Order: sequence, then structure tokens, then C-alpha cells
Amino acid sequence: MNSIQKKIWSLAGIVLFIMVAIWMTLTYYNRQTLEQYNGILQRYLRLNEVTNASQQTVAELNNYLLLPNSNRLGQLESGRERLRRAKIDILDLRNGENDFALTNYANLIDSLLEATDRSLMFQSEKETEDSSLAFTEATRISKYISDMTLTLLDTDLKTYDRFYRGIIEKSTALTQLGVWLLLTITFLLLIFTYLFSLSITRPVRKLTQAAKELSRGRFDLRVEVASNDEISFLAKMFERMRININNLIQEIQQKAQLEKELQQSKLLLQESRLRSLQSQIHPHFLFNTLDTLSKKAYLEGAEETSDLLASVAGLLRYNLRRLDRAVSLSEEVGVLRQYVEIQKARFSDRLQFRAEIDESCLHVRIPGLTLQPIVENAVIHAVEPKEEGGVIVFRIEGGPDRVTIEIADDGPGIPAERIERMLEGGDAGPEGHSTGIGFGNVVQRLRLFYGMDDVIGIVSENGKGTKVVLTIPRTGSAE
Amino acid sequence: MRKLIIFVLACICAVLLYFTTVSAEKAFRSEWKLPRAPARQQAEYRLVLITQELETPFWDRVGDSAKREAAKAGAGLEVWGSYGNDPEEFLKKLEIAIDAKVDGIIVQGLDSDAFKELTKYKAAFFGIPVITVANDVPMGDSLRKTYVGSNQYLAGRMIAGQLLEDMGPSGTVLLLGDSGNAFYQRQRLSGIRDALGAYPGIRTEYEETRNTREQVIAATQDLMNRFPDAEAFVAVNASLAGAMVQEIGRRARVEPYDIYTFDDSPDALSLFQDGKLDGMIEQSPEAMGRLGVDLLLDWLKGDQIPLDSGGYYTDIRIRKADEAP
Repeated sequence: MNSIQKKIWSLAGIVLFIMVAIWMTLTYYNRQTLEQYNGILQRYLRLNEVTNASQQTVAELNNYLLLPNSNRLGQLESGRERLRRAKIDILDLRNGENDFALTNYANLIDSLLEATDRSLMFQSEKETEDSSLAFTEATRISKYISDMTLTLLDTDLKTYDRFYRGIIEKSTALTQLGVWLLLTITFLLLIFTYLFSLSITRPVRKLTQAAKELSRGRFDLRVEVASNDEISFLAKMFERMRININNLIQEIQQKAQLEKELQQSKLLLQESRLRSLQSQIHPHFLFNTLDTLSKKAYLEGAEETSDLLASVAGLLRYNLRRLDRAVSLSEEVGVLRQYVEIQKARFSDRLQFRAEIDESCLHVRIPGLTLQPIVENAVIHAVEPKEEGGVIVFRIEGGPDRVTIEIADDGPGIPAERIERMLEGGDAGPEGHSTGIGFGNVVQRLRLFYGMDDVIGIVSENGKGTKVVLTIPRTGSAE
Repeated sequence: MRKLIIFVLACICAVLLYFTTVSAEKAFRSEWKLPRAPARQQAEYRLVLITQELETPFWDRVGDSAKREAAKAGAGLEVWGSYGNDPEEFLKKLEIAIDAKVDGIIVQGLDSDAFKELTKYKAAFFGIPVITVANDVPMGDSLRKTYVGSNQYLAGRMIAGQLLEDMGPSGTVLLLGDSGNAFYQRQRLSGIRDALGAYPGIRTEYEETRNTREQVIAATQDLMNRFPDAEAFVAVNASLAGAMVQEIGRRARVEPYDIYTFDDSPDALSLFQDGKLDGMIEQSPEAMGRLGVDLLLDWLKGDQIPLDSGGYYTDIRIRKADEAP
């Protein structure tokens, strides 16, 4: 059985119990009263019965004496029998007050019976005079019996007077009790019904409120109902539904975010391809020319120039080829070195490049052309503007499951808000980048590649340089 | 606000509960038992004292002492009788007592045929012992077991003695008696006459009258008219004394007359206390009641069979006017 039903049943049960209890009490009480009344009536009826029986007996005797026949004799006998029974009955009525009188009464009845006996006997012996004398006596005794009946009734009335008054008082009190009981029960029932209905409707109201909020789209309010019945169950279900919906919405939002990011990366790729296509106009011509130039320079004894040209050619080739693929860290480091060669030729002593490389990490996979734009950024912002030049420190450290790549310069540093913008990919613009790939592009590609946000971080302090830290997993990406 | 409402509701609830409890207590508390007296051991003997003059001082004393004595002996006793002079009712009571088969009857003797019929035949038929008290009916007429009460003959003599003392050995004495001429009255009368007979100087005149006020007054008038020189009056039947004294008082002053009577009537005592009587025979009603019950119980128990048929006399004495308080 469930709870609201139980509540209703228990209320009905209690009401029923009270009603049954009152009904039974009153019935019992009524029965008792009735028995009392019956007892009293019985007393009177029995006394009266004696009078009637004695009168009947005398009348029957008279009838018989006038015209003796067996029929009348039978009637007389039945009258006498009735009188005898009445006599036995009245012996029960004995109490302290009427003891003496009642004995006399019973004896009077005996005397009456004897007198009728005598009368019958004389009649049968044809002694009419004696018979009628006996009859007269019987008549007298019958009269005495009537008188005594009245006396006994009178005594009874006196004896039971207090008792009768008690009965009357009690019936008045009972009426009063009835009124008070009715009032009390009505009052209590009203209160209980009110409380009971409140215990059902209050949770329902709360639930309704919660449902209204949900329907308005507020999924962040907890649904709480203090109750112990089905309503609380409903509320719990409601709450779970709310949480589920909330989760689903969040998931959808995340998916939309991902979708958006995928779209972005596609766009970036296309952009890069476009640019590479633009610069592929004469790739072989450019390579060949650069090779020719390199060889020519070598032949002319300008070995330095020859190396430089080779580096430029390598950089260019790498740039064209490896943009949309993952490469190993060692390849990236190689390209970086070529780039630094070229820049050294440009800045000579002003650019100092230090590399500390943990060789064991060089197999780690990383998207192509990610380190070079960062270093280029450092060169542009930290070395180029300063007359005395600058130091760029490149460090690769292996961790247990992560590899940390640091590119630090001693430039003027980057303001915090700009760092934020850079990390969000908002700071676009390939301003003067040799490969046409900006910092923002790198950040986004790294994040997409590894599927995590904290892959790149920038630490900068005004006037003390900037440090870009890449933290990439050792196991590479999902590729 | 909420607190106030709760408080008010609680108050109403308490009041209702209080009144309900009170009325419930009233309705259910009172005892349900019929006032049924514990079934007492039924008295061994049921006795009835029957008198013609219920609720007179004399008979009340007889009845009370008889009841006390019966209660002491564990017998049941009721006092029945008639009020005033109502022989019919009295006889009816007697007959009821006989028909009701009481164990013993103590009755004020009534010198009438109906009474004798009842005691002699009916009571004897049922085997119910009858004792006469205060007023006797001879045993031969009534078959009574015995008589308890004053010796009426002696009482007559005592009155006469007092009369002689007061009046001297000569004069006219008027005697007034009831026309019923009961046995005890005859005895009193013979006592008086015997006592006065020895004095030739004293003349007694006896008049009988019916016991109604007018008749008594008429008889008194008649006597006084016929014997204007009478010096003494004796109401042989005490119940006549009241009317007699009243009539004498109407005719002349009461004091010069010597007036005597007996104490077994309601009037006698008040007349005596008013000083209108010169002498009154005082009997012993308590002793009568007590002795009557004792003797009857003795007879019933077989302790004393037969009873002295001559009777058991209780004390009498004469009270003189100057003794009156």
C-alpha cells in the first residue's frame, strides 16, 4: 500500500474507530438503562399480575360455583396456576424494605388458594353454605391482595425514589455529553482534516512550483520536497530528470563547441594550403635557383653563403611539404636550426641561440612548423628591436609522461592581456613571418592536435623576457 | 499570528475536552446498582402488633418498645392498625394478618363479635397465637393466649380510692362509659363500683354513650342536668374524656369538679397537663410492648407453654393533679 492511500485509510480508520467506540458505549449504556427500566417495569407488572390473577381466580371460582362444569373448572385451575406462578415471581422482588410485606403478600396468595380449595371442597360435598362462605372469604382476600399490591407499589416507589431520580439525572447528563462530544469531535476532526490535507497539498504545491520553473527553462534550481509519500518520490524523479536534462544540455553545448573548433581548423588548413599554393608558383624554379646559387657560391669560395642558401632552400621545402602532417620532434628541431642559421647570418652577434636538448625526447610527435613560428616570434619581438641583440634559450626536457619544450627570450616581455588574447587565438596576423604562419595558428593547431587546452602556456614579466612553454604528452597524439 | 491561532485552537480544544470529560463522568459515574438491600436473613418470626389507635402517644410507646424488643430477639415486627376509632379497618388488618399467616399477633382487644370471630375461629384455624395487649377480651371469647397490660379492675379501684381521698366518703359520682361496653371498661367499672360500694354516702350514676363528640357532649349535658349536685366525674373510657371535660368547662368552672380518667387516649395527657384532670391512671405502655413480644416469642419457641391465661399485669399508678409538672 502506498503512502497517500495509507494516510487516507488511517484517517478514515481513526474516525471510524472513534465512531464505533462511541456507538458501542452508547449502545451498551442504553442497554443497561433499558434493563433497569425493564427491571422496574417487571416489578410493577409482577405485582399487577398478582392482583389480576387473584381477581381472575375469584371470578372463575364464582363462575364455577354458579354453574359447575368441567370447562369452568379447567378455567379456574388455569387461574389458580397463574396465581401460583405470579406468587413465585414476586418472591424475586424481595428487598430489605419490603421483606415483611412481601412474605405477608405471598402468604395472602396462599390463603386465597386455600380458600378457593375449601370452597371447591364444600361445593363438591354439596355444602353450599360453607362453600359460599369460603368464596366470600376468597373475595375478601382478593381485595386485601389488591390493597396490598398498592401498598407494595407505594413502598417500591419510596425505596427506588432516589434511583429513579438518578436515572433521570443521568439521561440529562447523557444528552449534555452528546452535545459536548459532538462539538469536540467536530472540532478535532476539522483540525486533523486540515492538517492532513495540508500534508498532501503542500508537497503538491511545491512540486507544481518546481515544474513551473522547469518549464520556464530554469534547470539550476533544486527540486526539494519534504514529505514521505508519493509526492516526494515524484519530486525525486523530477530532480533526477532536471539533472539529466542539465547534463544533456551541457553535452550539446560542448559538442557544438567542438564542431565550431573543427570548422576553424579546417579553415586554417585551407588558408595554409592556399598560401602554400600561392608560394608554389615556381617551387622547382626557386629550389633549382637556390641550389644553383648555393653551388655557385661554394664554387666561388663563399662557403658561408652557400650554407645559408641551402638552409633557406631546406626551410622553404619543409614549409611547403609538412604543414598538415605530424612530424617528429627531431625534424622540427632540424628546421629550427636551419632557421636560426639564417637569422644568425642576418643578426650576426646580436642573436645568441642556446639549445639544451634531451635527446631521448626527440621521437615525440608534434604538428609540423610549430616551434619555428614561436622562435621567429621571439626573434622579431626580443632581438630585432634591441640594438645589443638578445638571447634565445631553447630547452627540451623529458618528464615521466610529458615532454616540456621551453622557448625563452630576454626581450621586453608581453602585457598580460595580450598573452590572454594570444592564447585564445585572437591575435592573428602573420606580420612579417617568413613562413606565413602566425602564433595564433600554432596555438590552435597544437590544441586541436593534442585535444587539450593546457598544451601551451606563456610566462612573461615586463622587461625580463618571455617564456613560452609547451607541454606535450610523450605518447604523442591520437594520430 | 500563526502562534496566536495555534494558541486559540489549543484553548478551544482544552475547554471542549474538559467539558466532555466532566459530562462523561457525570453520565457514567453514578452507581448503576438498584438500591437492593442485602438479602437479609429473613426474620425467624413475623409478628404483628395491631391497634385501633395508630400514632397516639400511648400506642406509639407500645409499638416502639415492641419493635425494640423484637429487633433484639431477631424477630420481624410491624405495627398495623386503624386511625381513630375505625373498627372495620382494624378488623380488616387483623384478618389480613391472619390470612398472611404471620407467626404471632399482638392485638389491642376489641370487645366485638367480629373480633372474637376472627380470633376464636380464624386465628385458631390457622394456628396463630394471639395475645391481647392493653385492652383484654376474655379468653373464653377470644381464645387469646394471654393478656398483657394493666389490671383494669385494679385501675378502677385505684381511681375510686383517689376519688374517695379527694371527695370524701359522700357525694354523687358520675361515670361515663362507651356504649360498646368493652370488657376492659366493664372491669374498670366494676373496680370503681366495688371500691365505692363500701361507702353508702356515695352515689354513682353510670351513663353510656356512643363515642362521637356530639353524643358525648349530649350525654354529659344530660347527666349534669339530672344530677346538678354531682361532684366527681370519671371517664371510664379515656377517649370520652376530652369531650366530657370540654362540656363541663362550657357549663361551669372545671376546677370544683373532681375529674378522673385513664391515660390510654390521645386527649388524656394534654388535659392532665392543662390541670383539668384531678387524677389519671398511668399505665406502662413500654412494658406492655416488651412483655407482649417476649411472651409471644417464648410461646412460639416453646419455652413457656402454656402462658398464664389470666394475663400478665404491667404496672399502673395514679397521677394526681398536684403532681403535674
